[in-house]
Amino acid sequence: MKICVNCVMPNTKPDLHFDDNGVCDACRSQDTKNHNINWNEREKEFLSLVKKHRVHPDYDCVIGVSGGKDSTFQVLKILELGLNPLCVCFEPTIPTKIGRKNLENLNNLGVDLIHIRRNPLVYRKLAKEAFIRTGDNEWQNHLGIFTTVPKIATNFNIPLIIWGESPQIEYGGPASSKTRNILDRRWLEEFGGLLGNRISDMVGIAGLTKKDLSLYTYVSDEDLRKVGVTGLFLGYYFKWDLRDVLKKSEEFGFSVSDRPVETTYENFENLDCYSNHLHDYLKYVKYGFGRATDNACLDIRLGYISRDQGVRLVNKYDGRYPAKAVKKYLKYTGFSQEEFDKTVDSYTNKRIFQRDDNGNFIRDIDNSLVRKKEYIVE
Amino acid sequence: MGNSRSVQKSFEKNNCHAVITNDHDLIMNADKIVLPGVGSFYDGMNELLNLGLIDILNESVVKNKKPFLGICLGMQLMANMSYENTETKGLEWIDAEIVRFDFSKINNNYKIPHVGWNNVEFETECLLYDGIPNNSDFYFVHSYHYSLNEDVVTGSTDYGYKFTSSICKDNIFGFQFHPEKSQGVGLKLISNFIEL
Amino acid sequence: MLKHRVIPCILLKDWQLVKSINFDSYRTIGHPTSTARIYNSRNVDELIILDIDASLNDDDINVEIITDIANECFMPLTIGGGIRTIDDIYRILNAGADKVSINSISLENSSFITKASSVFGSQCIVCSIDVKKINNTYKVFSKSKGLLDIHPLLLAKQYQEYGAGEILLTSVDHEGSTNGYDINLIKLFKDELKIPVILNGGMGEPIHAVEAIQNGADAIAAAYIFHFSQYTPKDIRNKLAEYNISVRII
Repeated sequence: MKICVNCVMPNTKPDLHFDDNGVCDACRSQDTKNHNINWNEREKEFLSLVKKHRVHPDYDCVIGVSGGKDSTFQVLKILELGLNPLCVCFEPTIPTKIGRKNLENLNNLGVDLIHIRRNPLVYRKLAKEAFIRTGDNEWQNHLGIFTTVPKIATNFNIPLIIWGESPQIEYGGPASSKTRNILDRRWLEEFGGLLGNRISDMVGIAGLTKKDLSLYTYVSDEDLRKVGVTGLFLGYYFKWDLRDVLKKSEEFGFSVSDRPVETTYENFENLDCYSNHLHDYLKYVKYGFGRATDNACLDIRLGYISRDQGVRLVNKYDGRYPAKAVKKYLKYTGFSQEEFDKTVDSYTNKRIFQRDDNGNFIRDIDNSLVRKKEYIVE
Repeated sequence: MGNSRSVQKSFEKNNCHAVITNDHDLIMNADKIVLPGVGSFYDGMNELLNLGLIDILNESVVKNKKPFLGICLGMQLMANMSYENTETKGLEWIDAEIVRFDFSKINNNYKIPHVGWNNVEFETECLLYDGIPNNSDFYFVHSYHYSLNEDVVTGSTDYGYKFTSSICKDNIFGFQFHPEKSQGVGLKLISNFIEL
Repeated sequence: MLKHRVIPCILLKDWQLVKSINFDSYRTIGHPTSTARIYNSRNVDELIILDIDASLNDDDINVEIITDIANECFMPLTIGGGIRTIDDIYRILNAGADKVSINSISLENSSFITKASSVFGSQCIVCSIDVKKINNTYKVFSKSKGLLDIHPLLLAKQYQEYGAGEILLTSVDHEGSTNGYDINLIKLFKDELKIPVILNGGMGEPIHAVEAIQNGADAIAAAYIFHFSQYTPKDIRNKLAEYNISVRII
């Protein structure tokens, strides 16, 4: 296992590349972000693209929101630019009190908010099957967001969808591209993080019918084209970093947690859902890095902490067993601890984590996995 | 010989304890016996001979009438003899010979081995086909097939011509295809065998 | 009647399953356990997994992952990549695979095919041929040696003589392109071999499968379409059935 010499991201992360100096491409992108970009030009470009795609008499765009710091910041930014967004929130799996509070806060910034309270019975069936089949307990939530936001955009005839960060720093979003600028089905499959599982695969599971799953069925390419549904990444057009986002959203009423969120040392992300903490843990068991690593890498790149500090934080917080989240998850799904453990173990990385002679994973007293010597972050 | 682990897995999937063994005692004491196998008839019979299993199997299956499942080569070994490479004697439980696919009388385009999914037409009722639709597809991979002299056929399949794809004689079941590789219908067949 | 097979063919790299484009760049498809589970639940006809690390870097065969994947599969599993010895094949089959795909070793040492098929049976041995088109001529492509002056059909016939059970024919040019299979290539193979040919590289839509089979492929393999499009193996089989091509309908 190699670790970036700049941040602490390991090469067990899918699709991550290291250059000859051992620096990962996320760190290199960060450099690019800070230099050579004319942000005024980008802002102008953004506004003209918004104007170009504006059809609806009242709404300029649709924004998918959770109430978290990022969506709060995005909404503030859009309002500042004098635009009027229609916000859409897809109910999280296991909502938290603080999450609800933050969503209300976002609503109170002065926007129309559609809060999609999906059929909980259908959703739970999807959640349970997705967990076993894909090892991603939030698969159905990604799907929900990626399907309902375009659905609303299509039905309301608001072509432009705004997201926050750009997955690739050079990519402004399909709306800025000359080709493939519609959020068609292919786009969903490529970028939706659906891991190859499809909603059509879920028909028949636990008695689910196609009708039950109509909320999760992607809008037809034909209807998308009629409306011209497309999207832009705010992060490509405006410079901001974590500190700006947090400061601004807190200023406008966003609340952080009074203690670190499970599996990391930070207290301001993933506040809206307990299932998300489990999601971060599953990432850790599969790839050997979790939310704490993500947070530490970002803090290092932004210059808030040194690499050494990052290493210490990762070793202390990353991948600690999220007992509270697991408890809530078991209660929500009805899985037994045994069924749950069996599935998690089937996704746990045998290369990285220690096992005993019987092939069972070795665990600390708090149930956390133990890394093999050569996989300890240094 | 053959992928026993795959067969074992399909039993485990049906919540049944299955052991891969050559141990005489274990076999004598088992409730049911499965003989999988892929490869040549000669090697198959040789292995059984070297492991001293032929007498054990005769006693358990023919004399004591334990339920027996022969898969692919395992099914073929139950015949009188095979013409693969050299003439080799089999377990002689079923009056039949094992012959190579011969398309000389029809269209020469059929490829050998017969590999892939093909449907099984039920010829007579067989408990192991319970709950499985007629003409379901199962996975085949073989170059030789049964030529029966007694009427114990339970399923036949078309590949150039109709050949015997499954047999049943009292407690003895034989399948030319691989139920452990045939997903849903295969697992159902295994489940039916377990339930016997 | 024997059905034509629709087979996902995925690459294993760094303990992840990936998709390649022209054998050059890779994108992660997903976790091996999850992918195997999904394909099994979709009732794919077979599954082919090729280990790139073992193939390109001479790494040891990843028996752990093969075991994990095999545990999820109740349909035939073919494993390839970096197989160089009879012992390699033993280990792979013991881990739960049903067939192996061999490429470089067959080019270097034809007697290996004969040995392997006599030990394990020819039905276990799939010989993989990668093809590139240069100046309107088809040539065999080797990852380690580059372009070779051999025509793929000739090579396939030789492999057949040596004991191969099936041929996996991949067009390097079409791979990852989604523009369809290399129909001119498969046409050359139609009715020429006594063993089945699985055509790989280029499928973007179900109709491509129809074209491939109508022009001589016994089975088709694909990767991109199953992960980056909305088409499922069922869609492809339904399309084949539409054109009266015998295919498994579940």
